[in-house]
Amino acid sequence: MNAMNDVSSKVDRRADDVVLAVRNVKKHYPIREGVFQSVVGHVKAVDGVSFDIRRGETVGLVGESGCGKSTLGRCVSGLSDPTGGGVYFGLSKAEVARLDTLLADGSAAAQAELAQMERRHRIDRLEGAAQRHFRRNCQMVFQDSFASLNPRQLVIDIVGRPLRVYREASGDALTERVVSLLEQVGLGRHHLYRFPHQFSGGQRQRISIARALALDPDLIVLDEPTSALDVSVQAQILNLLYELQRDRGLAYLFVTHDLSVVHHMADRLVTMYLGRVAESGDTNTVFETPQHPYTRALIAAKPDLNDDEGRTMQALEGRVPDPARPPQGCRFHTRCAVATPMCGWEVDDVVRWLESSKGVFDALEGVDRTNAFDAALRFSSEAAARNLASTLRSDAIPAAMQQALEDVTVSGGAVRVRFREVPEVELTERGPGHHAACLINPSHSSSGAN
Amino acid sequence: MVDLPSPSRAAAPVVRDSAFRVRMRRVRDLTAQILSNPATVIGSVIILAMFAMAIFAPWLTAPNTPDPYQMPRDWAATRMPPGTPGYLLGTTNEGGDVLYGVIWGARMSLQLSLVVVGSVLVIGCIIGSLAGFIGGKLDEILMRIVDVFLSIPELIFALAIAAVLGPSFGNIMFALAMVMWVKYARIMRARVIQIKNSEYIDAARIIGDSKLNIYLRDILPNSFTPVMVQATLDMGNVVLIAATLSFIGLGEAGIAEWGVLVSEGQAGIASGRWWASTFPGLMIFLWGLAFNLVGDGLRDALDPRTESSR
Amino acid sequence: MLDMTNRPSGLANSPATIASVRDLTVHFPSKRGMVHAVDRVSFEIRDGETLGLVGETGCGKSVTGRSFLQLLPIPPGILAQGTVTFHPHARCGACAGTGCDACNSTGRRPAACPSCTGAGCAQCNGSGAETVELLRLPEDRIRRIRGDRIAMIFQDPGKALNPTLTIGDQLSEVFLQHRTEELLDAAGIGPEDRGLAARLLGRLASQRNGSIDNLLLSLPPLRGKRNLLLDALRNNVAAALAETQIANPYQIIDRYPHELSGGMRQRVMIAQALACNPDLLIADEPTTALDVTVQARILELIKDLQKRRQTSVLYISHDLSLVRRICDRVAVMYAGRVVEIGRTDRIFRNPSHPYTRGLLHAVPTAATKRGQLMAIKGTVPELVDPPPSCRFVGRCPHEKALCRSKNPELAQISDEHSVSCFIHDAAGAADAPSFDEKTQ
Repeated sequence: MNAMNDVSSKVDRRADDVVLAVRNVKKHYPIREGVFQSVVGHVKAVDGVSFDIRRGETVGLVGESGCGKSTLGRCVSGLSDPTGGGVYFGLSKAEVARLDTLLADGSAAAQAELAQMERRHRIDRLEGAAQRHFRRNCQMVFQDSFASLNPRQLVIDIVGRPLRVYREASGDALTERVVSLLEQVGLGRHHLYRFPHQFSGGQRQRISIARALALDPDLIVLDEPTSALDVSVQAQILNLLYELQRDRGLAYLFVTHDLSVVHHMADRLVTMYLGRVAESGDTNTVFETPQHPYTRALIAAKPDLNDDEGRTMQALEGRVPDPARPPQGCRFHTRCAVATPMCGWEVDDVVRWLESSKGVFDALEGVDRTNAFDAALRFSSEAAARNLASTLRSDAIPAAMQQALEDVTVSGGAVRVRFREVPEVELTERGPGHHAACLINPSHSSSGAN
Repeated sequence: MVDLPSPSRAAAPVVRDSAFRVRMRRVRDLTAQILSNPATVIGSVIILAMFAMAIFAPWLTAPNTPDPYQMPRDWAATRMPPGTPGYLLGTTNEGGDVLYGVIWGARMSLQLSLVVVGSVLVIGCIIGSLAGFIGGKLDEILMRIVDVFLSIPELIFALAIAAVLGPSFGNIMFALAMVMWVKYARIMRARVIQIKNSEYIDAARIIGDSKLNIYLRDILPNSFTPVMVQATLDMGNVVLIAATLSFIGLGEAGIAEWGVLVSEGQAGIASGRWWASTFPGLMIFLWGLAFNLVGDGLRDALDPRTESSR
Repeated sequence: MLDMTNRPSGLANSPATIASVRDLTVHFPSKRGMVHAVDRVSFEIRDGETLGLVGETGCGKSVTGRSFLQLLPIPPGILAQGTVTFHPHARCGACAGTGCDACNSTGRRPAACPSCTGAGCAQCNGSGAETVELLRLPEDRIRRIRGDRIAMIFQDPGKALNPTLTIGDQLSEVFLQHRTEELLDAAGIGPEDRGLAARLLGRLASQRNGSIDNLLLSLPPLRGKRNLLLDALRNNVAAALAETQIANPYQIIDRYPHELSGGMRQRVMIAQALACNPDLLIADEPTTALDVTVQARILELIKDLQKRRQTSVLYISHDLSLVRRICDRVAVMYAGRVVEIGRTDRIFRNPSHPYTRGLLHAVPTAATKRGQLMAIKGTVPELVDPPPSCRFVGRCPHEKALCRSKNPELAQISDEHSVSCFIHDAAGAADAPSFDEKTQ
């Protein structure tokens, strides 16, 4: 009976509601060193991410490993608290607009109103009933179906647990609820009294999904739910997820590295690179006209069954920089094929470049930074310093980097290097609901691709 | 809905039964797997025989002293060799029946190991699991205490306690418990921390279950394997250590305890009376061996890596 | 001697295959019976091609790949039946390895049969090429082939590299094991030299040196030669690393595996695998643990090295879209059997086994409507004492009674395309399945 009420109340809610709003979320992990474990820096796993998840839609969150997508997924589901910004749950569209105004407004009155709003909607500030309401309505499915099921519990205990926690059912009623959940995910009554290890990977993932569905949530965070599965089983699970979404109006945050899956499943797409959003927008639009070179690189690298046989996969050069010291300007500029002088070239780029070249790096003794763009590199010999200076003036370094150099002076064994100072690249609108954090504007991007 | 005579309701009791059946089947499978190792079977047989001897001691050899744990004394039959009618394994210097000592020694060893292992298991598990689960300052404090205990050699520590409190069987038990609980606390804490970081704990948090429930339903049931293996091994070890303490004179003189018997009988070995210390010594050896065999078998069978593949 | 090595085509009829697998059958005992992990698998790898071996978890593709180098756990595994025949190559006699027309500028040609020196005899089946039965080779001989003539790269380079050795040490092992003579050459010691210096350096170069050797070698008269040898070794290692486009090989040499990224470690693995210029490279899911952007780079690398050296590759993967990109031919495995094999374009344009079709339709694409992926129903069967039937029974949409009673054999349906399914029986027997007809 209880469930019936829930469903009817759900119908009342407006379809364009925002289920969850992520605003400027940051998750920085302190790096501790030494005897006293003093904090020497922060790994910026997630560094200022904002987006909305609307009722009944699937938002895909993609990126390479280490881009912060899983950390963000954990922040959204409330498993870990962000160190900055907030995740807001259960705001109407109007309230989200109000929230954005309040966040931009620094006045005392605005802050007071914001604090009030946060008590009711910001998931790490919720208490009592509000927190229970959020917990019931935001569930999660993990990648490793084996690790996410208690090996000593039977399926009935695992799937029935949420119902027990919220005292929704007990005894025979609980059994029947669990059976109906299992049937919804393609399992049945005969699976009730089995242990997780008696199932295949796909079936275990179905059990995880049944558990997530038990409380009839609004949102399920899917953290690489099919990455460990074979393609034929993955197809079963993806179909199941779609059917459940259609029937129940679920919203999904689909965290994955697999672009094919995201292209198939997501309504909207968020591409992350090094803790920040590189591009976001409608899935088809992003795939057809990607605006950020990183998104383009991801698409170009992924083999697809539908492309021409002649198409070659394009690799992305270089490696992901250290998230404790993310690059200035655009974080992608170190690997970008179309980087411009305005993309945030900095002293670290010189150091990185030195590291990969033989001989010169050994002579480097230290770097005295004025700021990220201006520093003196000290060498053991003047010859090494002159060597670097002349290389920086030659075309051995990327042209864009060279143009961004404002000053290279040798004084003794030191080279003073100064780059043009640029601000961090912000997301800009490229079309309706389509944003990208790239300086290159659309008219250039088509020629700049590849 | 409640009034409807639905077929599923009728079927429900049967279904509930099957949860019990499934768990019993799991226990049965596990037992079968443990017993598939011949060494474990040998160990189990020895243990069962020892237990039977301990439990049925009053019927096997009736005590003739008010305190049955005291060795009987029969000045008429001192230093009889094994095979003497009425004294199958011979007698001691004081005319104590060695067979009596062997049988009542088993009862004593069982008592000793159950009390010591049982108490350290409870104390160690509570302290270790709380330290691991709650973490933070509590963990820090408890683990420093554990470190202090661990930095003193086990035997010497037990020796010191027993020496301070005076030679008595009860003091040996107390000394052993004092020494051993830290090991359990450590093992339990390590396991709890490992379990705490597993994904199914995250899954339980996502549901919104309480910390207490997570502790009771997820952490504890999954944490017992290593301490249970350790407890089995220690069932043997405590008897060995207690025997050692008794042997060096910290036990009560004249009681039917294997270590004491070995100690008291050793003087006679030089003059050819080997039996008074050999038979109790053999019992100590068998006791230790049996629990080690079973403990190792358990470890192999309960190893989480092999467990998951079953 | 001269005559033989100079013969242009070298051998009576030089084989177009580098290796062939015949009826390979591997069983694993389990509590409930014998698991037929690999069941009469046959295929051949042609000279210079990339053969893709695709299938899902547990289909036996890795077991097949590992059997080439006797890397299977036997026992408990049981090699029930079958052969893996390998035709090793040797340095081309006409150009001494520098590359000429006779050897297609690769510097290597199929090695001649040792018993008939290339004329063709019973031992080599008249082909004149050296044939090696890999499955029955004694340990010392397989070790000489491993890493030298056949190399393998694994899915997880983190596990395949020894964490306690530097990259340089691990790569050195390959050279010390297989390139002892070349290293001695570099130190100025010829093959006939039997002096103390030669013996000591020989022990060093084949990793048999002990502490006394090291002491003697560190003394002045021998030190120079030892340093020459070690320099040669270091240069060889650096050159091998440079081949995989590692920017600064001399720096990587002194690093430990954990200091490198996943992509970098995989490059080191590839460098190690290709160090001795193998004839056959077995790549077992080499990019599965990597990001797509890195994957593309690694594949490019394998492809490029393969082109330059005419190495044949057995590429084991679960990723159909990837295999389509990089393989010349593809073998699809299901439940321990090869169900379809043929040229890549044929298989992907005209998949002819219901399983291959199902697999291709299960790959999510933007074109398929959501919820409409063609999932193959059911799960992979447990291969415990399987009945004599098609393994796809129970999941196949076209199955008929015939499929449940008889095992279909691999049969050619067109040029370079073979399928094991009754659907393609020419007779069109009444109880044979057909694509037009769906059961269930």
